[in-house]
Amino acid sequence: MNATESAASYDPRAADPRAAELEAELNEARRELAEMHSRDALKTQFLSNISHDLRTPLTAIITHAEILRDGILGPIPDRQRDSVSGIIAGGRQLLDMVSEILTYAKSSANRLRVVPTEFKLRDVIKEVVSINESLAARRAVTFTAEVSDTLPVLRADREKVTHILNNLIGNAIDFTRRGGNVWVKTWHAEDGGQPVHFVEVGDDGIGIASEHQELVFDEFAQVDSSASRQHHGTGLGLTIARRLVELHGGRIWLESEVGTGARFFFTIPDGAPSSTHR
Amino acid sequence: MALPHLLIVDDSVLVTGALRLLFEESGYRVTVAGNVTSAIESGSRDPADIMLLDLTLPDGDGLAVIDSLRERSAQPRATVALTGHDDDAVRQRCMAAGCADVLIKPVPVSELLARVRSL
Repeated sequence: MNATESAASYDPRAADPRAAELEAELNEARRELAEMHSRDALKTQFLSNISHDLRTPLTAIITHAEILRDGILGPIPDRQRDSVSGIIAGGRQLLDMVSEILTYAKSSANRLRVVPTEFKLRDVIKEVVSINESLAARRAVTFTAEVSDTLPVLRADREKVTHILNNLIGNAIDFTRRGGNVWVKTWHAEDGGQPVHFVEVGDDGIGIASEHQELVFDEFAQVDSSASRQHHGTGLGLTIARRLVELHGGRIWLESEVGTGARFFFTIPDGAPSSTHR
Repeated sequence: MALPHLLIVDDSVLVTGALRLLFEESGYRVTVAGNVTSAIESGSRDPADIMLLDLTLPDGDGLAVIDSLRERSAQPRATVALTGHDDDAVRQRCMAAGCADVLIKPVPVSELLARVRSL
């Protein structure tokens, strides 16, 4: 049936021959979009599988190397122990990077959940400070934490909050010159009428130009490509930090000027949404 | 005195090879199983004192081994879950299933030995 046969039904394809063409183009675009989404999902699944599978041989390498280093098979000379320790350090760094890719893939596939428990942010910051102290010392960076004693108990996913802090602090230490400063501050206040924990991770390092400030939260972005050669990491640290903050219903942003350093801020609402699928 | 018996359940021969070496050198008798079915079969036939249990096994959830051995009155004195990544949900599930501890692979060998010896 077409428009000439029935006055009751109006067929735009008959009225304008371009309409049929446009509709075909629209359908083609829809089909291409659906295919892109499905390819993207496949790629994410591949990332997730490969990073999970990479962990197994890495676990074996690190465990065997530690068996040697710890003298379980008998004493080894100091210089050999140093070399084996290098295998372990390299293996653990690689493992951290693989874990980061796995977290990224899971967040892309909406497979991360908030599992809230009650804890004090102060305790988590103490842990993260002790983990990062040796990295700061190796780079001759002064690292200080200023945490209020009076913060209320936080209900959030402890492991994910630790992850956010580790990524921001690791990033700050990485991009601060020898002799520079990195600090963490926390306080409690309202944000948009909601009680939240505020955290600031700051440094007086190289800083980030204003046109790059939104970019740093994007996947695989390192503002200066030479940065990826100088600084270890997957380029996913800030992307993951943002996703984990948003998963908690908080927000993350930064203030920076080139040459004077950068201050990253994030908020975690006191009562995080429970088991929220992102 | 008989050596303490350790049952290692993990589907990677690379990982079980490393753990077998570690614990045999440290005075344990070690049995290895690569999936849920053989862990239940081996654990019932020759009950272990301690079980190291990977959670993701080719034929199912590693935690199923705990219940099956309990039903057969062959449960080890303690089970330590070994998991790929730190995740509170997984940790809570393991503790609910009766694991004595949940450790993230690769566990530093000194920590793993100390933990198993303390059980």
